[in-house]
Amino acid sequence: MRESLNNTFVKNSFAAIIIALILVMALSACAAPATRGSFIEGDVSGGEAETLNWILAADASSFGYVGYTLESLANYDNKFDIVLRCLAKDIEVTPDGLVYTLTIRDDLKWSDGSQVTAEDYVYTLKNLMFSDWLNYNYKDDWQEDAGGKKVFVTPAVVDDTTFTITRQTVQPEFIYTLYNLIPYPKYIAVKYEGDVDAFTRAKEFNDLSYTGNLGPYKFKQWLKNDKYVLSRNPQYFLGRDNGAPFFDEYIVKMFGTSAVMQAALDAGDITYCGIEPQNVARFKKMQDINVYTVPTRGYNIIAYNQRANGWEGLRKKEVRQALSMAIDKETITKNIFLGFAEPAYSFIPSSSPWYSDNTVMKLGVAPLNDKQQAMQLLRDAGYEYAKNGDRDILLGEDGKPVKLLMVTTPGSDVVESMSLLIKQELAAIGIDVEVKWVQWPTLLRQYMMNREPGTDQEPRYNNGPRAVSDETWDMTLMAHNTDPLAPSGSRVFFASDGGLNSFGFFNNRVDQLFQKIRSEEGMNKDQRSLMYGELARVISEEQPVDFVTYTRANRGFQSNVKGIEPGINMGYNYYLWRFE
Amino acid sequence: MRSYIIKRLIYSVIIAWGIMTVTFILLRLGPSSPVDRYILNIAARGQDVESVRQAIEARYGLDKPIIEQYFTYMGNLLQGNWGWSFSTSQSVADLIVTHWIYSFQLILLATIFAIVIGVGLGMLAAVKQNTKIDYAASIFSFIGISIPGFWLGLMLIMVFAVYLGWFKTYYDTSYPIWSLENIKQLLLPVLALGIGELAGYLRYTRSAMLDNLRKDFVTTARAKGLPEKTVIGKHVLRNAVLPLVTIIMFDLGSVVFGGAYLTEIVFGIPGLGQVSFNAIFANDYAVVVAVTLIGTFLVLFINLATDLIYTYLDPRIRYE
Repeated sequence: MRESLNNTFVKNSFAAIIIALILVMALSACAAPATRGSFIEGDVSGGEAETLNWILAADASSFGYVGYTLESLANYDNKFDIVLRCLAKDIEVTPDGLVYTLTIRDDLKWSDGSQVTAEDYVYTLKNLMFSDWLNYNYKDDWQEDAGGKKVFVTPAVVDDTTFTITRQTVQPEFIYTLYNLIPYPKYIAVKYEGDVDAFTRAKEFNDLSYTGNLGPYKFKQWLKNDKYVLSRNPQYFLGRDNGAPFFDEYIVKMFGTSAVMQAALDAGDITYCGIEPQNVARFKKMQDINVYTVPTRGYNIIAYNQRANGWEGLRKKEVRQALSMAIDKETITKNIFLGFAEPAYSFIPSSSPWYSDNTVMKLGVAPLNDKQQAMQLLRDAGYEYAKNGDRDILLGEDGKPVKLLMVTTPGSDVVESMSLLIKQELAAIGIDVEVKWVQWPTLLRQYMMNREPGTDQEPRYNNGPRAVSDETWDMTLMAHNTDPLAPSGSRVFFASDGGLNSFGFFNNRVDQLFQKIRSEEGMNKDQRSLMYGELARVISEEQPVDFVTYTRANRGFQSNVKGIEPGINMGYNYYLWRFE
Repeated sequence: MRSYIIKRLIYSVIIAWGIMTVTFILLRLGPSSPVDRYILNIAARGQDVESVRQAIEARYGLDKPIIEQYFTYMGNLLQGNWGWSFSTSQSVADLIVTHWIYSFQLILLATIFAIVIGVGLGMLAAVKQNTKIDYAASIFSFIGISIPGFWLGLMLIMVFAVYLGWFKTYYDTSYPIWSLENIKQLLLPVLALGIGELAGYLRYTRSAMLDNLRKDFVTTARAKGLPEKTVIGKHVLRNAVLPLVTIIMFDLGSVVFGGAYLTEIVFGIPGLGQVSFNAIFANDYAVVVAVTLIGTFLVLFINLATDLIYTYLDPRIRYE
């Protein structure tokens, strides 16, 4: 009997323990992942931010640094779908495309506990970003041409959480500017209003002590050229339900060289960094590292100088096409980028929703990578060939062999290899290319900036069709970026009045299309898509530049980091990343 | 002597002012602008480069005539205001106060390491001339002189940090400066920076010692029955050390201005070398001028110190 009772007791106790264990396990499974450890992101010194007082920033890193502590109104996932952040609902646009209504969440707080209101956003726009005294770098984003005058859009408060922005002209891509908006706290900013020195040195803005619950992390320390340290923000408005973020600290660590940075990833001293193409295979073999290859916004171009001080042939569309046709993009992507790039044909990256693969002219890739056809195009354009031994030499209009000067900057193995390949490819169609390496400031001042000869014009990057640079040049190799959601920003390069149209490309049809995209006609997304398709077609046919490759980036993470969604905007959900 | 020092200090101030003025003017007359580095970022945002340039230059007073900028700068400097670093968003004085210690500890430890080991080995090699010790020291010094510090740093990281895991791959500023952990993590950077100097001092000491060992006063000292330790330590070394001081002080100047920078870069030490290098690329004029000024004063001070050390080491030298 006693034994039986004992047995029953033991059995019951055992069952109770099992049930308790199951309950504990179930509860832990339901609970948010435990926060632990420091996530250390490696970066090289050139990528260091300049300021946390973001309104003064011109560099992208500064906005990135601030973004850890201060969410914008919305951002995008890898499919470019909008993900709301400080917005309570998506922006409403009136059918005429002129009035935007923005409604922010009502649970956003500054560090003093006061609510972030629509008034803070409107104040930031009107009194800071649009002010004369502060000289906001990107004020162009908020200006429009109305009756020949450049004017700012008009913000207005509706209530605590709602404000409107009214335009006088339609600009369908203006909405993407709005999504990026972040506010300054009016209660602090008013103290410094009108005094640019005081605003620049304001402690609260330089140590981000005002950010309240607006970001997943809070500022902790910034030692320049070394590290930017953020600590977990337990009040983060998007972490209320799930306990995010899940790292105690988020650190951006600067390295002097990428070699040491990658050694640090290899040794496990850092959690994440970019990996150069030549090292990807080695890292992919490591069990502790996951490497993700993702598209980027970047592309490489060869710009043809169509101004009066470039070779006259470059002013003919057929000649530019012939040159681009001779340069094999697949060899560049495979042999120079080791497969971490793809041939480019347009200023719109292939990852962009506005990219149209069927309208662009695919020069540089078979069947339009053909040296014989390229030579024929040059003959059709009126140029002749002469024999020099076994070699065909292209003769210019003056009967002399054509020799082109390609100017680029030193310091990159990729650029060096590309330059040599381009030289080799064009030699095969009878054109000698001399490569000249100059430092970036020299490239800008001597080759890209231009002015009309005989005038006292101040040199600019585009002083009109008659302007020329101080030094003569024919081609330049450069890297550019495009916003995949609003590629019309590239008008700075390709429109006749584009501020960076240093190569002198002037085409009415292109100007009209850029204008149409940013007009009422562009409000309809299908129409805009067609316009972008047409624009990409015209530009690829005109070939003012040879779009060489779209680059891909390799991101290496320690394998215990979970929650990563690889893609073009893979950081969009970084506050949900965790260690496992 | 006092009047000599005062005179030298006055000359130093005049020279430093001249160098500062030339640096200030050349930087502004140079072909680059603070906006250059943003051009592609500005373009990627579809912005007009010119309007951004104007905005930045207006904000930092760079749109004013050079002469006006110069007098404003000088006025501020005389009041102890070194200006504002727009590439790091803090006052230049704060920037220097925060970062000098990282360079100083590296240079100090590397110099002590190089002097102690280099001079010691050099003496040993001279005393044991044409023995295995002498040959080994010679081979070591040739290798040490030939290896670039940058490459040596990378190799030390690969071997001791990545493969053996004895050290972190980078310098960790979380440790207090006076902690053991900090001293430990400085071991590799000190080796990378100090080996080249050490090898040089070894060669110079050996050859200076050998020169003096052959002189009559050494024979006399030995004939008088002085112990060998006294002959070497008191008579030979004291005479050999004079040219060595010049070389060490000269090296110190070049380390401050350049040598330490590469080591800082490789090991991620946020010292003044990195600060000034980044400032040059960012066209952060205020920082470049301030760092040049500090460097100038340091070199002038090192020169003055060298001259004063001479008077101690060789009582025959007198400055009037």
